[in-house]
Amino acid sequence: MEEIKKGGIFTISELQNVRINIGEIIEEEEEWEPMGPHPMPRIATLRDWDFKLLNRYKPFYAPLCDMCCLCTYGKCDLTGNKKGACGIRMDAQQGRIVLLACLIGCSAHCAHGRHLLHDMIKKFGRDVPIDFGPEVNIEAPLTRLVCGIKPKTIGDYDKVLSYVEEQIVQLADALHTGQEGSHLDFESKALHMGMLDSLSKEAADIIQIACYHMPTSYEGGGPDVPMVDVGMGTIDTTKPVVLVIGHNVPPAADIGAYLVENGLDDKVELGGICCTSIDTTRVYSKAKLVSALGRQLRVLRAGIADVVVIDEQCIRADVLELCQHTQSPIIATNDKAMHGLVDRTDDDPDKIVNDLVSGRVPGVAILEPDQVGEVSVRTALEVDKKRKGLSFILSDDEFKRYVNDCIQCGSCTLACPNGLRIGEANKSAAAGNIKPLADLFDICVGCGRCEQVCKKHIPIVDVVTKAAYPEVKEEKGKMRVGRGPVWDSEIREVGAPLVLGTIPGIIAPIGCGNYPNGTKEVQLIVKEFAERNYIVTLTGCMAIDCALWKDEEGKTVYEQHHGRFDAGGVLNIGSCVSNAHIHGAAIKVAGIFAGRPLRGNYEEIADYIVSRVGACGVAWGAMSQKAASIATGFNRLGVPAVVGPHGVKYRRAFMSRPDRKEDWTLIDATDGSKVYVEPGPQDLLVACETVEEALPMMAKLCIRPSDTDRGRSIKLTHYIDLSLKYLNIYPPDWHLFVRAASDLPIAMRNELLKKLEDEQGWKIDWKMKKIVEGPIRAYNPSFNPTNLERLIRRKK
Amino acid sequence: MYSYEDAGGDKMGMEIPFDVANVPGPETGRIAPPEVIGSYISSAKKPLLVVGSELLWADFFLDIAIEIGKKGIPIAATGHSIKGFVEKEYTENVTYYNLHGLTNCLRDPNWKGLDGGGNYDFVIFYGILYYYASQMLSCIKNFATEPLMRAVSIDRYYHPNARMSFTNISPRMEAEYKDMLRKLVVSIKR
Ligand code: SF4
Ligand code: SF4
Ligand code: SF4
Repeated sequence: MEEIKKGGIFTISELQNVRINIGEIIEEEEEWEPMGPHPMPRIATLRDWDFKLLNRYKPFYAPLCDMCCLCTYGKCDLTGNKKGACGIRMDAQQGRIVLLACLIGCSAHCAHGRHLLHDMIKKFGRDVPIDFGPEVNIEAPLTRLVCGIKPKTIGDYDKVLSYVEEQIVQLADALHTGQEGSHLDFESKALHMGMLDSLSKEAADIIQIACYHMPTSYEGGGPDVPMVDVGMGTIDTTKPVVLVIGHNVPPAADIGAYLVENGLDDKVELGGICCTSIDTTRVYSKAKLVSALGRQLRVLRAGIADVVVIDEQCIRADVLELCQHTQSPIIATNDKAMHGLVDRTDDDPDKIVNDLVSGRVPGVAILEPDQVGEVSVRTALEVDKKRKGLSFILSDDEFKRYVNDCIQCGSCTLACPNGLRIGEANKSAAAGNIKPLADLFDICVGCGRCEQVCKKHIPIVDVVTKAAYPEVKEEKGKMRVGRGPVWDSEIREVGAPLVLGTIPGIIAPIGCGNYPNGTKEVQLIVKEFAERNYIVTLTGCMAIDCALWKDEEGKTVYEQHHGRFDAGGVLNIGSCVSNAHIHGAAIKVAGIFAGRPLRGNYEEIADYIVSRVGACGVAWGAMSQKAASIATGFNRLGVPAVVGPHGVKYRRAFMSRPDRKEDWTLIDATDGSKVYVEPGPQDLLVACETVEEALPMMAKLCIRPSDTDRGRSIKLTHYIDLSLKYLNIYPPDWHLFVRAASDLPIAMRNELLKKLEDEQGWKIDWKMKKIVEGPIRAYNPSFNPTNLERLIRRKK
Repeated sequence: MYSYEDAGGDKMGMEIPFDVANVPGPETGRIAPPEVIGSYISSAKKPLLVVGSELLWADFFLDIAIEIGKKGIPIAATGHSIKGFVEKEYTENVTYYNLHGLTNCLRDPNWKGLDGGGNYDFVIFYGILYYYASQMLSCIKNFATEPLMRAVSIDRYYHPNARMSFTNISPRMEAEYKDMLRKLVVSIKR
């Protein structure tokens, strides 16, 4: 008889057709912490918390479409907050669309986690321990917080993912015509979905860290992770090149393993685009990051790949067509993105390689990650020989002809999401100055919409690439390998300075590459805050894009700054799923520094974070539905996010009204008294038009009611200074954040007191250098802010 | 295929939004010449000029905003456009505001306005990144309805979410666009 596996099935060998399903074996769980009030919350469990947030940060809607076409009553015209035939109003419809976006995003992360778990259990078994080394005791803050589970092995994630899956279905049901009708309830559901999204990401990253021994707090991890090469110029195209695209690392890990086992790691290049590439560098040290999402079209068009391996998410839908053009066979490795290719899983590798090399098929699907390494590498070795000498970069003559062909009709500009003036740039290139065209390379988001409308059939993307090619082919930056969880020991060091405000905040660049003005702004954001001693924690595309730029010394922000979770650090946490560790860091501040119980205690911890942990996400190029659910997940936990201008197309924002006193009343948990406080954080989700505007905004959104006067003075210094630097003004609302003279930066104290007296009419005692009248509230060092009545210690 | 020349409403009875697919629904704004938009603005009781960072593309555009400001129309400077006003030393009736936050206030009839005297009945969008402006105009169109807030755009883009807007103006027509702005300023009577 086979061994009985936990939660598994056993068969009795002599008997035919007998299957006894023994279901789940419940193990005695160690009592690690008393269970909190809300383990595995359902849709309505945390609704009160959501409504507290939604009352302060009232949903703001900017419809991208005034109609609804989800059922056959429609299309319905909802313009002017009219109702559709089913009775839904425009505001609720917008909430519904937001929930739908979060549903898609969360499903992507959850399904990715499930897919990983499935593959990893098959490969390594259920009992792979979750052990992140001596410096990480709280291994899974979100899992503990949301589910009340302390996972010991990857098998424990079965339960966690089942919970998420069930909730996703329940929430999806709410989208059906004739279900939810309140925009606030749609938003509460979106917030729930956002929380599930964060949990799913944590699950996915923990599973892959545990199984692939990605960096943790063992030697060489955390702040000591190595640097890797980033950029289109890092790939040695004289070698065979395998290019991986997507988010799910097992196939790429298998390629790395195959290269090492066969002594090919110096002979074949393994490069990647998007999160798979970040995760590949966490398992295979010679992997290179070719680009983030924004350059996918251009990397594929440039034809540097001999074989393209796709897994899931953020893959161009026309990837097959693009690869056919460059004669690069493609291997689809995930059932969610098969692109019409024939499933050849378990087929003879010789046959598959032969079919791919001969060009009999443009690509194949291989859904077993462990079969991908051999096929892709052997194919690359052969295809490379055939592709030698091919070039997909335009020749000088072709380039000249195209720029001369342009009639400056402007169709491309009208099609371009960034409204780029390609015609004008072509005109100046035709006159001999290619700089305007070359400059478009970084600002272009690589969508390809322009080319489809050009009457002159100019391959605009290729023309721009050609203009920029001399620089692009030299593009080589350095990025820290994704380090995964922030260590408990780091939190112990910085917990106090973060809550007191003397480390002014955590800035978390997250998400995609739909930037308004190119990747360089990402570097500016990181540099500006790291130099001001914020902790900058990057994940996903922004982690890659900021590594493309160097300062005067030729160094990237990663090389200029340390990688500790401490003042001035620039950390690459990892891929998009790794940004759960940023939630994790905030949660650990509450758990480790403040001693708050975590288990099943989401509401209390979110309440702690929103008033005390000065963290701010920035999704400067937010594009995907995943970015919507990621931001919404941060928001439920009380972490604000700034988005770039394209982010307004998500339709919904969460902004407060500092002028509405009733929205800004908190409870002092010490005695239950109600306190009217300054607006910190003022918004949970807000877009800025330009990076110049975003920088002071992020500094402002790190202000919290719990700041000590010293902390507040540091935060105010940066808020005022960034505003003076980039907007040329004192922020019009800086006075709202002043509670006492000691909140003012010492170097500017007199000047600022004078401004308060002159401009705001505040009364100042100049002898004592004290504010006598004016602030929203006086500074009270023992103020214990909360939004939750149940946390009041003793009533007044 | 569409082009700048197709905009203007005389082709198939439909204007082409600057970002072509940005077709919001049955209610789309009409294209109007500067004099018409100018007199429409003149009919406002309490107008607000909302400007964005594209104002900084050339001094000329900033000067136009200042001229409108001098006619007694207050200015909300969004994005980092405030920088230009400070450099020109015109800050008289100019206030920095984040456009998202400003629109959040504009949709509330009880908002006190930049002067504390109440919300506006008319907003003029100018010099703002197209797609950001479009979304904020959408919010105003859909939610600032009681009382009705009228919104126009005087940018070089056709904005279907504004009640009135210029047509798409190609970069080649920069001189004509400047001329339109000059005419507009003249036709605003206060
Ligand atoms: S659509 Fe083609 S011809 Fe027209 S401006 Fe653009 S590149 Fe030139
Ligand atoms: S590929 Fe670049 S230039 Fe062309 S439409 Fe997209 S963003 Fe604009
Ligand atoms: S809106 Fe997004 S998902 Fe839809 S076609 Fe455009 S890029 Fe693709």
